[in-house]
Amino acid sequence: MSDRAELTRVEESMPERTQQLPTITPVVDIFENDDEILLHADMPGLKKEAISINIDNGRLVLSGTRTLEKSGAVSWEEFGDVEYRRVFSVPQTIYVAKVNAELNNGVLKLQMPKFEKAKPRQIEIKAE
Amino acid sequence: MWTSTGDINRMFGAMDLLRSRMNRVLTDFDRSYSDDVGWRLAADGAPRTNLYDSGDHFVVVAEVPGMAKDEIDIKVQGNYLELSGTRNKEIPEGYKVHRTESPASTFTRSFTIPSDVDVEKVQASLRDGLLTLTLPKAEAAKPKQIDIR
Repeated sequence: MSDRAELTRVEESMPERTQQLPTITPVVDIFENDDEILLHADMPGLKKEAISINIDNGRLVLSGTRTLEKSGAVSWEEFGDVEYRRVFSVPQTIYVAKVNAELNNGVLKLQMPKFEKAKPRQIEIKAE
Repeated sequence: MWTSTGDINRMFGAMDLLRSRMNRVLTDFDRSYSDDVGWRLAADGAPRTNLYDSGDHFVVVAEVPGMAKDEIDIKVQGNYLELSGTRNKEIPEGYKVHRTESPASTFTRSFTIPSDVDVEKVQASLRDGLLTLTLPKAEAAKPKQIDIR
């Protein structure tokens, strides 16, 4: 019986182990032009309230927790509740205050404009 | 060598912790180390699905991120269900592609539902990249309450 007691104690002393959702990385598409960078991430089943986007010090952290509504007995289940998480390095040229995000059909679309001065500029040659 | 199960448990606990830390590290490096739910079937482009049985109807949920409702085809006959679709990917005009991890794909996936369904009353809805099908069971397949006389 003392073993049993010990078992419970071990379980309790390791809060990290309990209640941890599997963490998966969302698949992304990344596009860029002279003005901005676009990042599209597949996050099916997430509501916009459940997603957090954090840009700090050149790191973009996308994370979100999916909680599915379940109805009835499970016959098979190929996906479940997960935590989406992915970290990207973003260049310092991103105008963080103007980053725009929208969620459409389970795809998160981030629009990250670049600073005016970071955009490439064509230099005209003046002729005499 | 081990004097009590407590020691063994502690060791496994530490290993679990290490594994989850490793998982986190590798996730940051762009790949998943885990065999957890979330990666199966992803490679061939067919959506992952769940099937629930709620007594008088079945519920099928499929992951279809980025797909519009006219890109998905659903066929039901008796206890046979077929989902097919095409995921179009358009590169935004004038943009350079850095990465495409989910290319355009066409898939067909078929299922055998545990019992016949009432084809006329099947309903489908699409929200947040999840397709939810409600398939009422055929009259003969519904559970019945039997009164004892």
